[in-house]
Amino acid sequence: MNRVRAVRLVAMREIVERGRSKGYVASLLFTVFLLVAGFVLPSVFLGNPEATRLALIGEPPPGLEPALLLSAAAYDTELELSSVPDRATADTTLRDKTIDAALDVPADLSGPGELIVLEDASATLQGIVSQTVIALRAGANALPPAITALEPPSAEDITAIIFANAGIILMFIGIFSYGSWVLTGVVEEKQSRVVEVILATVRPRDLLMGKVLGIGLLALAQLTVLVLAGIAFAQLSGRLTLPPTTAGAVIQLLGWFILGFAFYSTAMGFLGALASRTEEASNASMPVTMVATLAYILSIVFVTQEPDGILARVMTFLPPSAPMVVPLRAALGAIEPWETAVSVVLMLVAIWVLFGVGARVYSGAVLQMGGRIRLRDAWRASR
Amino acid sequence: MLEIRNLTKRYGPVTALDDASFTASPGRLVGFLGPNGAGKTTTMRCVFGLAVPDAGQTRWDGKEIDAEARLRFGYMPEQRGLYPRMRVGDQLSYFAQHHGLSAKDARTRAGSWLERFGLADRAKSKLEDLSHGNQQRVQLATALVHDPVLLVLDEPFSGLDPLGISTMSEVLRERATAGVGVVFSSHQLDLVEEVCEDVVIISRGRVVAAGGIDDLKTASGRRHLEVEVAGTGGAWLDGWNHHTVLDRDGDRVKLLVDEGVDLGALLAAAHAAGEVRRFSYEPPRLSELFMEAVTEPQPAAATGTR
Repeated sequence: MNRVRAVRLVAMREIVERGRSKGYVASLLFTVFLLVAGFVLPSVFLGNPEATRLALIGEPPPGLEPALLLSAAAYDTELELSSVPDRATADTTLRDKTIDAALDVPADLSGPGELIVLEDASATLQGIVSQTVIALRAGANALPPAITALEPPSAEDITAIIFANAGIILMFIGIFSYGSWVLTGVVEEKQSRVVEVILATVRPRDLLMGKVLGIGLLALAQLTVLVLAGIAFAQLSGRLTLPPTTAGAVIQLLGWFILGFAFYSTAMGFLGALASRTEEASNASMPVTMVATLAYILSIVFVTQEPDGILARVMTFLPPSAPMVVPLRAALGAIEPWETAVSVVLMLVAIWVLFGVGARVYSGAVLQMGGRIRLRDAWRASR
Repeated sequence: MLEIRNLTKRYGPVTALDDASFTASPGRLVGFLGPNGAGKTTTMRCVFGLAVPDAGQTRWDGKEIDAEARLRFGYMPEQRGLYPRMRVGDQLSYFAQHHGLSAKDARTRAGSWLERFGLADRAKSKLEDLSHGNQQRVQLATALVHDPVLLVLDEPFSGLDPLGISTMSEVLRERATAGVGVVFSSHQLDLVEEVCEDVVIISRGRVVAAGGIDDLKTASGRRHLEVEVAGTGGAWLDGWNHHTVLDRDGDRVKLLVDEGVDLGALLAAAHAAGEVRRFSYEPPRLSELFMEAVTEPQPAAATGTR
C-alpha cells in the first residue's frame, strides 16, 4: 500500500503545485483564446476575399443579374457572373472548378429555382442568392432556391478531417509542453537536491511514475477542456455539424494522448535525470525531441496524403509514431480495427519496457551530481 | 540501536567505505567525524538506501534496515534541498505524509513545528521567500516533522549563525533525551565536543576511532600539561625529557606528556624554580584526538563501540 500511496502523493503534489501556478492557468486560457479566435474571428471579420464565380443557366429572368450584383455589394463580396447554356454544361464546369456555383432560375420566375454547387455553398453565397430571388419574386411564396451539391461531403468527413488535423497538432504540442514539464521537474528536483530527501522514503521509480502521472492528468485535463471548447465554439459559430461519431473520435484522441504522453514523458523524465542543471536538460532530451519531431513531420506530410500507404502502415506499429499516426488514420477512416488493436498492444508493451529501463537509469543518475552523466554509467550505477 | 556493519562501497576505482563498522545508541548524541571524502555522506546514504553498499549491512534494532524502517527515520542531507516555490506548510506536510502520516496529522505536525521555530506566520510563504536561516529551520523541521526514532543529519551546523547553532543543538539534545537516536556529521570539533556524548571518527573509509568522548580521551596515552612559573621563561624545564613543547609564551609552557609522567616530580621541579601560578593537567581535546586518529599512517582500527 505504501508504494501506491507514495505514487499518489507525488502525483497530487504535481497537480496541486502546478495547477495552482499561474503558468498553467494562463496557458490554458491562452490556448482556449487562440482556439476560439481561430474558429470565430475569421467568420466575423473576414468576408470572402476572392470573387465567387457564379454561372447562370439558360435564359435568366430579367433584372436577376443587376439584382445579384447589388446584393453581393451589400454583402461586401465580389460576384463574377457568367452564363452556361444548360444544366449539363454547368455540372461539367463545376466539376472542373472553373466556376464555384451555378444558378438556375426560371425566366418567368415561376419557381424559386436551384443553386448548384460542387461540395457546399458558403453562407454568404446562399444569402446573396436567396435574398435576390426572394426579392425578384416579391408577392409569390418567399422561398429561397433549392441547393444542390454535386458531391456533398458528409458531416463525418469534415469533422474527421478537422479532428485529424487539430488532433495531431494538439497531441504534438501537448506531449511536448507537458513532457518538458516532466523533464524540467526532474532536473529541478535534482538541482535543488530535494530529491535526496524524497528518495530517503520513496523509491526512484515511484517518484518518476508519480510525476508522469500527475503531470499527465493535468495535460489530459487541459486537452479535454481544449477539445470541448473547440467543439462548443465550432457549434456556436455554425462552422461544424457534429456527427454521431464525434464522441468516438474524441475518446480515440484522448486515449492516444495518454499513451503518447506516457511514452514520451517517461523518456524525457529519465533522460532529464542525466543532466545536473536545467540548462543541460534540453540537451539531454534531444534524442526524444528529434524522434518525436520526425514522427510528427512524417505524419502530417506523408500520412495525411496517403493514410493507407506503406509508410503509414509501418508507422502504425512503431511506438514513437503510433500516437500520432493511428488517430490520424482513424480520423481519415483508413485503418483496420486489427491494426489499431495491435498498435495499442505494442504501445503498452513499449511503455512498460521503457518505464523499466527508464526507472533504472533514473535511479542510477538522479543522485549523481556534476555534469552530464552517461547513460551507460547510470544504468550500471543502479541495482 | 543503529548498527553499521562492515560496510564497503566502491565507486569505480575509489573506495568510499572500507569495512566500516560502528553503532549508535538512542538517547546519545553521536558526532560523526572525518576529513572531507572520508565516507561520512556515503555511510548516511547507505542507511537511507540512497547508495547500495557492495558489502555489509545497516541495521536498526537488530533488523536489516528496509523501506518500512526508513519511514521512521529523519534525514537531513548535506546539500540542503526543498522545493523553492512550494509553500512552507504544504512542504512540511508533504514530507510528513511520505513518512506515513495521514494528511490531517501531517498538517497538524507541520503547524506545530513551524510554531516551535517561530515560523507559524510563514506557513503560506514560498520557501524561497524565507531568509537563509529560516530555510535551514524548515529543513530541520522536515527531518523532524514525523517524529522519527532515528535522526541522521549531514553537517547540520554548517552555515548557521550562533543563534541557529544554539537552536539546533537544543533541538538535537531534546530529541536524544526523548530517546531518539541522533547521528550527525560535523567539522566543528569543539562544538561536537560540547554537545555529543559519543563520536565516530572515519578516515579513508575506515572507522579509526569510536566511542564515548570521555572514554576516548581517557584511553589516549597523552595528556596536556600547562605550567606557568613566574619569572622563569620556562627555563626550569631544561632538565626534563619525555615531553613535547606545544607552545611557549613567556613564563607559560604547554606540554604534551605521556600519561605515566611523574606529576609530583614535575610539580616539585616547577616549585623549586619559582612561584607556580598555573599547573593544569588535562586529557587532550577532541580536535587533537581527531588529528591523531586521521593522520596515523597505518590506522589501527580502534573500533571500540558503544
